[in-house]
Amino acid sequence: MSGCGLFLRSAAAARLGRARVAFTASRRPLRTSPPSQAFAKELFLGKIEKKEVFPFPEVSQDELNEINQFVGPVEKFFTEEVDSQKIDREGKIPNETLEKLKSLGLFGMQVPEEYGGLGLSNTMYARLGEIISLDCSIAVTLAAHQAIGLKGIILAGSEEQKARYLPKLASGEHVAAFCLTEPASGSDAASIRTRATLSEDKKHYVLNGSKVWITNGGLASVFTVFAKTEVVDSNGSVKDKVTAFIVERDFGGITSGKPEDKLGIRGSNTCEVHFENTRVPVENVLGEVGGGFKVAMNILNSGRFSMGSAVAGMLKKLIEMTAEYACTRKQFNRNLSEFGLIQEKFALMAQKAYVMESMAYLTAGMLDQPGFPDCSIEAAMVKVFSSEAAWQCVSEALQVLGGSGYMRDYPYERILRDSRILLIFEGTNEILRMYIALTGLQHAGRILTARVKQLKQGNVTTIMETVSQRVRDSLGRTVDLGLTGKLGAVHPSMEDSAHKLEQNVHDFSRTVETLLLRFGKTIVEEQLVLKRVANILINLYGMTAVLSRASRSIRVGLQNHDHEVLLANIFCTEAYYQNLFALSQLDKSDQRRQERRTPRSSEHWHPTPTVLTWLSPPAVGMTKWLLQQILRKISMN
Amino acid sequence: MSWAQAILLARGLSRGWGGICSTALTGAPFSQVTPQAPRGLHCSTAAHQPDSPLVPRPPEPQRGLVKALAPHEELFRQAPDGVRDKASFVQAVQNFTQYNVHKRGHVDFIYLALRKMREYGVERDLAIYNLLLDIFPKEVFRPRNIFHSIFLHYPRQQECGIAVLEQMENHGVMPNKETEFLLTQIFGRKSYPMLKFVRMKLWFTRFKNINPFPVPRDLPQDPVDLARLALRHMEPDLSARVTVYQMPLSKDSTDATDPTEPHIIGIQSPDQQAALAHHDPAHPIFVEGPFSLWLRDKCVYYHILRADLLPPEEREVEEIPEEWNLYYPMQLDLAYGRSSWDDYEFNIDEVEEGPVFAICMAGAHDQATLAKWIQGLQETNPTLARIPVVFRLSPSSGELLASSSGLEEPPLTPPEGREEEENNQQRQQQSQS
Repeated sequence: MSGCGLFLRSAAAARLGRARVAFTASRRPLRTSPPSQAFAKELFLGKIEKKEVFPFPEVSQDELNEINQFVGPVEKFFTEEVDSQKIDREGKIPNETLEKLKSLGLFGMQVPEEYGGLGLSNTMYARLGEIISLDCSIAVTLAAHQAIGLKGIILAGSEEQKARYLPKLASGEHVAAFCLTEPASGSDAASIRTRATLSEDKKHYVLNGSKVWITNGGLASVFTVFAKTEVVDSNGSVKDKVTAFIVERDFGGITSGKPEDKLGIRGSNTCEVHFENTRVPVENVLGEVGGGFKVAMNILNSGRFSMGSAVAGMLKKLIEMTAEYACTRKQFNRNLSEFGLIQEKFALMAQKAYVMESMAYLTAGMLDQPGFPDCSIEAAMVKVFSSEAAWQCVSEALQVLGGSGYMRDYPYERILRDSRILLIFEGTNEILRMYIALTGLQHAGRILTARVKQLKQGNVTTIMETVSQRVRDSLGRTVDLGLTGKLGAVHPSMEDSAHKLEQNVHDFSRTVETLLLRFGKTIVEEQLVLKRVANILINLYGMTAVLSRASRSIRVGLQNHDHEVLLANIFCTEAYYQNLFALSQLDKSDQRRQERRTPRSSEHWHPTPTVLTWLSPPAVGMTKWLLQQILRKISMN
Repeated sequence: MSWAQAILLARGLSRGWGGICSTALTGAPFSQVTPQAPRGLHCSTAAHQPDSPLVPRPPEPQRGLVKALAPHEELFRQAPDGVRDKASFVQAVQNFTQYNVHKRGHVDFIYLALRKMREYGVERDLAIYNLLLDIFPKEVFRPRNIFHSIFLHYPRQQECGIAVLEQMENHGVMPNKETEFLLTQIFGRKSYPMLKFVRMKLWFTRFKNINPFPVPRDLPQDPVDLARLALRHMEPDLSARVTVYQMPLSKDSTDATDPTEPHIIGIQSPDQQAALAHHDPAHPIFVEGPFSLWLRDKCVYYHILRADLLPPEEREVEEIPEEWNLYYPMQLDLAYGRSSWDDYEFNIDEVEEGPVFAICMAGAHDQATLAKWIQGLQETNPTLARIPVVFRLSPSSGELLASSSGLEEPPLTPPEGREEEENNQQRQQQSQS
């Protein structure tokens, strides 16, 4: 305890360092994979892991050439040959279109090359997603095939399984589907009713049950199915656990219902799939028996990041079409584009598209780093942000278009209908917000636990540290997390925005601490609090992404980088105030509760509730006075 | 000023005594609960009165056996065909004003009219109350100077005016502009009836919707409908289903030898069904009752099917399965929970009670009838057949049963033709017992 009292700053730093050391020391022996790079999780502790996000991830020249090779023909195909309107009307993707997609290799984009796929990196996959999403039905069909349908085999499959299934899936000869949802089970794994029982010769599982809303359910010949099996525990008791299976249509007993009539993405095939005494060989168990829950979670978590770029691609196309309209339609002898209210809408669309693109590629870049980084929070944030921005932007675009946006002869209303599903599938945004907030809080909670315990036991040094930290905060110390300055990662033209981000991150970590103190474990039930925490985090991630990307653009000297700086600054300012509002909402309830408990204290100066509620008012006054003296001395030195 | 206070105090005391004496004999017709509060507020300022009604006893206190005619009683007997409705009541009042130009004995007449209002079914009619107030001569009782206002000017008349307002209050009738106009004309602004009027204006609006579980003003007459209403009133779960297990046999067709079949109506919600299905057959469940429930002026009785609370060691702790939610953790693995510092809940002593599985209302409170209810319940709750049912029927249903055997079968028709005094007597007995 060398840094007690007088050397507050160094003490704080030392304490953080200690906590970190203790944390890593305690966890290292348990770790099997390389250290997980958790940018978002560290934000909960008020730290910006600069080396994860700065500089913005780049692709090598070779890769770039490779991407361009792919992108050219695909883009040509989508703009010239795909008739989205017809697909939407008829509710079916024509066979020749599907054949062409297969020949372009789009059914095996992420399948490793040794199994006949393209073996694209996440970044390249995201780039192709931008183009594929020009038709949402095709995008959803392809995503259901490879982002979730065959992903299980890549992630958890054995060598034999990979060798057996991946080549045909990659070529598109077989289409895959992901069968998890049931009439009674959405995100609730415990209520899965489909059951797999081991046959007497122990060579087969007999599968019974039905799944609903299965994308590609009618086309697929390979299904990833999740079913309950009986598993004997280590202590001998029999339990029902979820197991994943690879099921071929040829196994028999599989029937699919008629395609569902949907609001949007009408060209994609969605139907019920029934399994009746389907005999699945034991070799086709994906992962371990009883390990299906983890498989499902990994598949779902890994498939989300690409939505950001896909939506951005769609939005850019939409902006193009809308801008054309706004620049040609004349009212009062002026183009629509000259009106401020219309310009505002375009600014909004451009900003959202830019942010989601930055977030998506930043996440893809993180995922492409060596090791198996866990970016599931980031991916979920990209998904939530992009789906909501998509809905908002499409709606604004329709507003610009006026009446023609509402007519079925034009493509706009189709885009609106198609984009509504984005908020619902791959985990609804509500559930993903819970995931984002709770995962982060879990991480922060582990590290803060030690400190909180000390606080509650009344460890004098910890209390003094915490109180002094609060006092310094309340004195308006500017937060410096090292984003700007001489060797800063952010370009000086965005210094203000970087400061805003730092300020927000700092306040956010304080709020997280208070929330954990206040609610402890029961925070799981405080969904409204969690929602705000998630919203703040999404904004913080977006701010980081645009700052990083715009800084790179300036330094590399990209065309129109001044626009990027503008967009980044606008977004950062908006997000900053949104965050401040959310933070004040989270703090305000605290303050109100505080006042109710101690009605005598009329002042608004309130450090951590836990510290001051023990101290009687005179003690509080004394402490304040002492701290002020100490701080004055420090500032004089 | 202290002198004046002393006089007021003395008056209050004497009135207090009068009130105490009179409570034993009279009782105001209470409507539901609502009038209680304004009554208390009213009393607090004028003088400390017990809950005595302001309608004084008629001069001849002997009642029940031989009813002496109150003055002007004959006016209410003039109705040619014996029809008692608003028109005949108005006619009676008009007769009084016509034949009594000097309004002699108008106070007695107003008291009489107030008592008669129920019989004529006009006790909730604002126009009638205004008509009654209109009987008072105007301008005569207005205080002319400060001493008039300090001392109770024309006390008998003012009390009579208050009595009219009091009866309005008891029946939940809101006074209007006309009432105010009449009162200012009769008693002036600075008078006790006016004070009462102002208070009614203030509090009635506040109390009008104070009951979160409103009961319809006119209750259904049919006992089955009434039971249905009462059960819905008690059951918080909107998805609960009311079942009629047995309809009452019509009383006209059967004579006394036939065993009458009382009605049995029960209510059960899906949650209660599920709880009953999970009940451990080793523990018995109980039929308890009858308990009373007041709906306005009607008392109905109900029975409940309940179980004892499980002892804490036998309760199943609901634990969160490990692999439940595919998307987010259902519990956080934190080393600390919310400690007592962070507990912002009020300190409430909560008494946990055992679950109630169903409620029923029956026409009879014997075991045979209730056994039929349990039989009916078994159709929807198969587990009930395996659970022992213990009947714990109390012989008397609380304080009210002893004296009010007449209320056991709640009167199906409003007590038409019954004298107010009888009602009062009954209530008085209840309150004594």
